[in-house]
Amino acid sequence: MKKQIRALIAKPGLDGHDRGALIIAQALRDHGMEVIYTGLRQSPVQIAQAAIQEDVDVVGLSSLSGAHKSLFPKVVQALKDKGAEDIPVIGGGVIPAEDIPYLEGQGVAKIFTSGTPTEEIAKYIEKMVDPEESLVAAPKKIAHIGIAVKQLEAALPFYQDVLGLKLENVEEVTSEQVRVAFLKIGETRLELLEPLNEESPIHQHIEKRGEGIHHLALEVDDISERLKQYKESGVALIHDTPKAGAHDSQIAFLHPKAGHGVLYELCQYREKE
Amino acid sequence: MSEQSKYHEQEQQWKTDVEKTTKRFPERKEEFITSSEIPIDRLYTPEENPGETYEDKLGFPGQYPYTRGIQPTMYRSRYWTMRQYAGFGSAEETNKRFRYLLEQGQTGLSVAFDLPTQIGYDSDDPMAEGEVGKVGVAIDTLKDMEQLFDQIPLDKVSTSMTINAPASILLCMYIAVGEKQGVPMEKLTGTIQNDILKEYIARGTYIYPPKPSMRLITNIFGYCQTHVPKFNTISISGYHIREAGSTAVQEVAFTIANGMAYVDAAIESGLEVDQFAPRLAFFFNAHNQFFEEVAKFRAARRIWAKIMKEHYQAENPKSWKLRFHTQTGGSTLTAQQPDNNIVRVTLQALAAVMGGTQSLHTNSRDEALALPTEDSARIALRTQQIIANESGVADTIDPLGGSYYVESLTDKIEEEVNDYLERIDKLGGAVQAVEDGYMQREIHQSAYDAQKKIESGEDIIVGMNEFRIEEEINPDLLRVDEALEAHQIEQTKNIRETRDQQLVDDCLNNLKEAARHENENLMPYILEAVKAYATVGEIANVLREEFGEYTGM
Repeated sequence: MKKQIRALIAKPGLDGHDRGALIIAQALRDHGMEVIYTGLRQSPVQIAQAAIQEDVDVVGLSSLSGAHKSLFPKVVQALKDKGAEDIPVIGGGVIPAEDIPYLEGQGVAKIFTSGTPTEEIAKYIEKMVDPEESLVAAPKKIAHIGIAVKQLEAALPFYQDVLGLKLENVEEVTSEQVRVAFLKIGETRLELLEPLNEESPIHQHIEKRGEGIHHLALEVDDISERLKQYKESGVALIHDTPKAGAHDSQIAFLHPKAGHGVLYELCQYREKE
Repeated sequence: MSEQSKYHEQEQQWKTDVEKTTKRFPERKEEFITSSEIPIDRLYTPEENPGETYEDKLGFPGQYPYTRGIQPTMYRSRYWTMRQYAGFGSAEETNKRFRYLLEQGQTGLSVAFDLPTQIGYDSDDPMAEGEVGKVGVAIDTLKDMEQLFDQIPLDKVSTSMTINAPASILLCMYIAVGEKQGVPMEKLTGTIQNDILKEYIARGTYIYPPKPSMRLITNIFGYCQTHVPKFNTISISGYHIREAGSTAVQEVAFTIANGMAYVDAAIESGLEVDQFAPRLAFFFNAHNQFFEEVAKFRAARRIWAKIMKEHYQAENPKSWKLRFHTQTGGSTLTAQQPDNNIVRVTLQALAAVMGGTQSLHTNSRDEALALPTEDSARIALRTQQIIANESGVADTIDPLGGSYYVESLTDKIEEEVNDYLERIDKLGGAVQAVEDGYMQREIHQSAYDAQKKIESGEDIIVGMNEFRIEEEINPDLLRVDEALEAHQIEQTKNIRETRDQQLVDDCLNNLKEAARHENENLMPYILEAVKAYATVGEIANVLREEFGEYTGM
């Protein structure tokens, strides 16, 4: 069984604002972690002691009083003094952006500023504690199959009338200089792509290979994180950051040589609920 | 056609229209609710508010139950007091900011103390490390207090001090500064926060356990009623309860429950309700949901008036009046696109004015990032001045009174607050409920629910989870000079070396002795000690030894 992550959430110094600390503690619990909250007014040494006693995987510090520059590095130091420098320290609170490089230089692993979703913090901790576990999940399904056509109006009768597929919508994706039509089929879609002009990659594709299957799109989440990881592992990418696609989605293409001759698109839809 | 049937005909027509329209264009949400989860109807009509209850529920301004305001003329006579909370670094620096704010037209002072001062530690205490002068001004001895009010005549300004566990020490220092300026304590005006229950609940600057803390508070009530009669002896605060994540209803409910606990404690200590109740003041928050906030203030006045008159049988109308200060909601401000905060603060300030506040602090745009710069503090003050002088909203009393919606919300909030008060009473009162962690749990649950709504996108915070921009703005921020801590420690050491140590020891011994006798009022002993230049930490430590320390839940 997977080991449960243990986190210590601590309030160093005299600051009494613990709304953030309590929310983080509960959010991490909801992510399946075991969380120990120290309560208010803990000295850096007390926090280090608690971290060691409780054998935690990470220490999260919260300060809203402006004392972070003095107190956060002291916690890192106290852990080091007790031979526990392997326990990473992260922090948050009212912390001006310009203080972050200093704190990171002092050994704080990461500062999360106000407005960070708790989800992001939980994921960060999971990845930090167990880098293997946190490799992004396999794509969920085939989002669509892209088919290059010269003209939508010429191609649609076959799909709509002969196959009887339902046309969902037609839209222009200016970033790719194409007009696309989506046809629903089971849990996935066919995407017909018509070049808007001669600059369009679809035009070039048709010129070279004629009409036909152009790409497979995979539905994923964490598209940015995924691209980063793919890039780090040396996968050939056409886009290394996501761009706007049809249906209010974020997309990026992998290079066909990565997919052994198949052009893959990654596609992340906006969370609707 | 009679008026009545015309009304119903119109109503019927509207309902038919609504049905047609919503079929084609569904409403934005299936259910609309306030922050306190009070359902919001599509429309409020005269039927919600039958006219015959006007006298009982609303009455006239300056009349029981004060729903429409506590004074007969409200802002037509005088605007609310514009009181910006300020303090950082050393007493000299804060003194400069105070004098700047007074020059800019601010009408009252509000002192922010640093955390060591608020928790009764001197600047050279190991516990104070890194915190000196950070969230407010560092005060160790009377000397610092003299510098803080240098060239500010205490008979001309009213001063609010956010100080709780060591409230008696700082009030005594203020009295002593007045004396040095030649202002007798009978003439001093202002407020000390002195609300320890909400420190256990939400704010965290407690020192002693609840029982001796309540004694210190009633000692202040007793001393001030004869010696400092114009000073507000407590500011019963919902502000921090709301900041910790409560709903609007919980804010009012827990604040009033705490207020009742103070009244009970004072009566138990032998005071007459009408002797101290007129000096009780309140402090509320103003968040973004405009109508709920306005209704909240109106409901709070009505609830408190009824409790004081009916439950405590106070006879002096001054005891029935809930007077309150408002501060806009710090936790509503975003670190992203900080200029948007100016707009939030404007809405919140307007709600406080529509709710009939007696004084107001408007937050600065950069408070999610650091203490406000002088520029930001000025814009915040200007916001109030624009509302007062340009909008015309202060020209009639309670302009939202009679709004079908606002009156309905006012009633609903009153009802839900009373439900909470009943529950707290069953738990054994506010002190017991705090010790059991009841309010803390309720607040945390609300805070967590609110966070989840933001993360799911159900609640939109402009610039944070929607309408974002790529580049983050890095405004100029106020930085507290890191060298200040050493300088402050130096100054306090000098005072310890030059004062009459024998006198200090005597004063502290007398205080210790008095603390052992439950019926002794400690105020005169503390006053003697501060005049001898005993430090905040030394005085607080004497009481720590006698009373013990509260260590949290």
